[in-house]
Amino acid sequence: MNKTITISPVTRIEGHAKITIHLDENGTVQDARLHVDEFRGFEKFCEGRLLWEMPGITSRICGICPSSHLISSAKAGDEIFAVEIPETAEKLRRLLVLAQWVQSHALSFFYLSSPDLLLGFDSDPSKRNILGLIEKDKELARRGIRLRKFGQEIIEILGGRRIHTPWAVPGGVREPFDKSKKDHLLNWIPEVKETALMALEIIKKVHQDLEKEIPSFGNFRSLFVGLVSTDGGLEYYDGTLRVMDGNGNIIADHLDPRKYYEYFDEHTENWSYLKFPFYKPLGYPKGMYRVGPLARVNICDYIETPLAEKERREFKKIAASDGVVNNSFYYHYARLIETLFAVERIEVLLNDPAILGDHIRARAMINRYEGVGCNEAPRGVLFHHYWVNKDGVLQKVNLLIATGQNNLAMNRTIKQIASSFIEGSNISEGVLNRIESGIRMYDPCLSCSTHAIGQMPLVIQFIDANGNVVHEIRK
Amino acid sequence: MPAKKHKPKLAVWKFASCDGCQLSLLDCEDELLKITEIIEIANFPEASRAIQPGPYDISLVEGSITTPHDAERIHKIRRQSKILITIGACATSGGIQALRNFADVKYYTNLVYANPKFISTLQHSTPISHHIYVDYELRGCPINKYQLIEVISAFVNNRKPNIPNTSVCIECKRKSVTCVMVSQGLPCLGPVTHAGCQALCPSYNRPCFGCYGPKEAPNTTSLAEQFIELGLSKNDIVRAFRGFNAYSDAFRKESEIYEK
Ligand code: SF4
Ligand code: SF4
Repeated sequence: MNKTITISPVTRIEGHAKITIHLDENGTVQDARLHVDEFRGFEKFCEGRLLWEMPGITSRICGICPSSHLISSAKAGDEIFAVEIPETAEKLRRLLVLAQWVQSHALSFFYLSSPDLLLGFDSDPSKRNILGLIEKDKELARRGIRLRKFGQEIIEILGGRRIHTPWAVPGGVREPFDKSKKDHLLNWIPEVKETALMALEIIKKVHQDLEKEIPSFGNFRSLFVGLVSTDGGLEYYDGTLRVMDGNGNIIADHLDPRKYYEYFDEHTENWSYLKFPFYKPLGYPKGMYRVGPLARVNICDYIETPLAEKERREFKKIAASDGVVNNSFYYHYARLIETLFAVERIEVLLNDPAILGDHIRARAMINRYEGVGCNEAPRGVLFHHYWVNKDGVLQKVNLLIATGQNNLAMNRTIKQIASSFIEGSNISEGVLNRIESGIRMYDPCLSCSTHAIGQMPLVIQFIDANGNVVHEIRK
Repeated sequence: MPAKKHKPKLAVWKFASCDGCQLSLLDCEDELLKITEIIEIANFPEASRAIQPGPYDISLVEGSITTPHDAERIHKIRRQSKILITIGACATSGGIQALRNFADVKYYTNLVYANPKFISTLQHSTPISHHIYVDYELRGCPINKYQLIEVISAFVNNRKPNIPNTSVCIECKRKSVTCVMVSQGLPCLGPVTHAGCQALCPSYNRPCFGCYGPKEAPNTTSLAEQFIELGLSKNDIVRAFRGFNAYSDAFRKESEIYEK
């Protein structure tokens, strides 16, 4: 009799999800699925709204990366206006995206993942959180909290509040940079830089400590997709798309992000509201690809800031003969390299007099009926695609969200971890947590990916081959 | 031996939402440690795997009800909670996703490709108070973290939270922000919107779109008339009231009047 184990919900990831693990008669893992079982329906209810409202509305998709939605939305608006935004506006938007990376990556590492990594997968679950980390290493926790605060404060200075700011608009931004805050932020740089470097030391130690476990944490070849700058550098705001295969070969380059729909398609399954995007030329499911920190650091030729570039070179050594780092465990590492890059880059931008200009908004009317906006959200490349009428009323909306693009890879990862750590229906807390942790490597934001979600207490279900629940454990 | 003072237990629950409101709790960087001195965080899935069994002294509920399972779950949470507080527009009025409540069901069917055997969703997104008794509703999309701290400490100390229930308009006056409606003719929901954001949008030279929801006894009728005078179409008025708090009674009723 085939059995299904359900783990629900996954805690400490943004949003809600449920995992089922399908076992055969012998208790061997056959399949594993991440189910997402709710939707909020953004694409539909945005129809009929005005283009100008879209940055504000779509921010509400996600409380972790509202700024990423804000920017993709505003950029789609720029396209529809057919304007080039003022230099100051572009630099300030860049600053916002980097601040968003810092706060989100710090949340992912210090609040959500480091408790597992530092306190151990098998340690007391009630301690495996930021408060437990504070107890264990107060100074480190304090630094992590302040790193996130640094990012959040930049967002607040630019946008008036940290979550759902009304700041970016089609054509530019609403408010110039408050000059009086520049020194305050610049003085903070040495501390956050040091914190990012400390975190990198920590993750390298974790790599040593978990040497035996890491190979079973999502180790497989896949494509990697992300933006790169015109000459192949790490990019976060503009640039073109690059696709790399699991052997490190660039199989497509300089793709125009505005034509994303020519390269990617979405598959649906009847057990999840989360769609399964894939790279069209390879088809489904072969066209599985990963986005986000691991993809970005893998695909770029260089990083423009010195400390982060030094780390990138270290990172590349892990790739060994593959030419590319295929193990998803290194998402953590890549995320921290990006954090360091973001801090270095923020410093450069803060010292750039161009951010202090007051020409921040290009005004225009509807000049095109269609527009795509794209930027690299912390979790990966994010597309907003709008169709409007002559009055700017939305006719159709399509959103291709970072976490969704990792869906196939996440399922693959769960299966791999489950196969290595589960035998029969006997599953321990540590195994449950490893599976959750496997999903957390991708730092998925499920609020985003379904533009939806809802669920919590832990449920483990055993379902037989006929789909009947034969046993259920609730926690 | 003197009995050790019982630390009140706090639980955080999530329904359909963006997580922004509960993250405001994590945003209390400097205050987080102080908060944990007065309360014990017994359940906060966003931050921790460990779930301590109820009952809880205070439950914070984020998000709206959108699935049959959630409609049941909220009752269980109520039974385990002495005080239950909703945080944010989703929980308090159904949130931005309640826009689907106004649409034709068929409109959404092409989205519902999932098999109901595995998952299902309700036609409407509804506020928590449509399902259970709620002790206090904290507004905003997202909530203001200082107001959250105030509400928690008020309930811990058995007093009434000190949250002004005036309008955004009053906050503008207090900050001497130039009125965007009078000076630029922009349709602003400030006069009918609950205070709490320190008039953020008008300070950024844009009209308020009501993310804190209706204030007590809002005069939406006269505001809608003013919008007509500013040259808004009926459609525009419907859209104005149908934002992040579209399904709150006051905004919903006003929007329905102008729907053809
Ligand atoms: S009220 Fe707004 S900020 Fe709060 S959870 Fe809902 S969408 Fe997010
Ligand atoms: S001004 Fe209105 S829309 Fe803007 S933050 Fe305040 S309540 Fe929300």
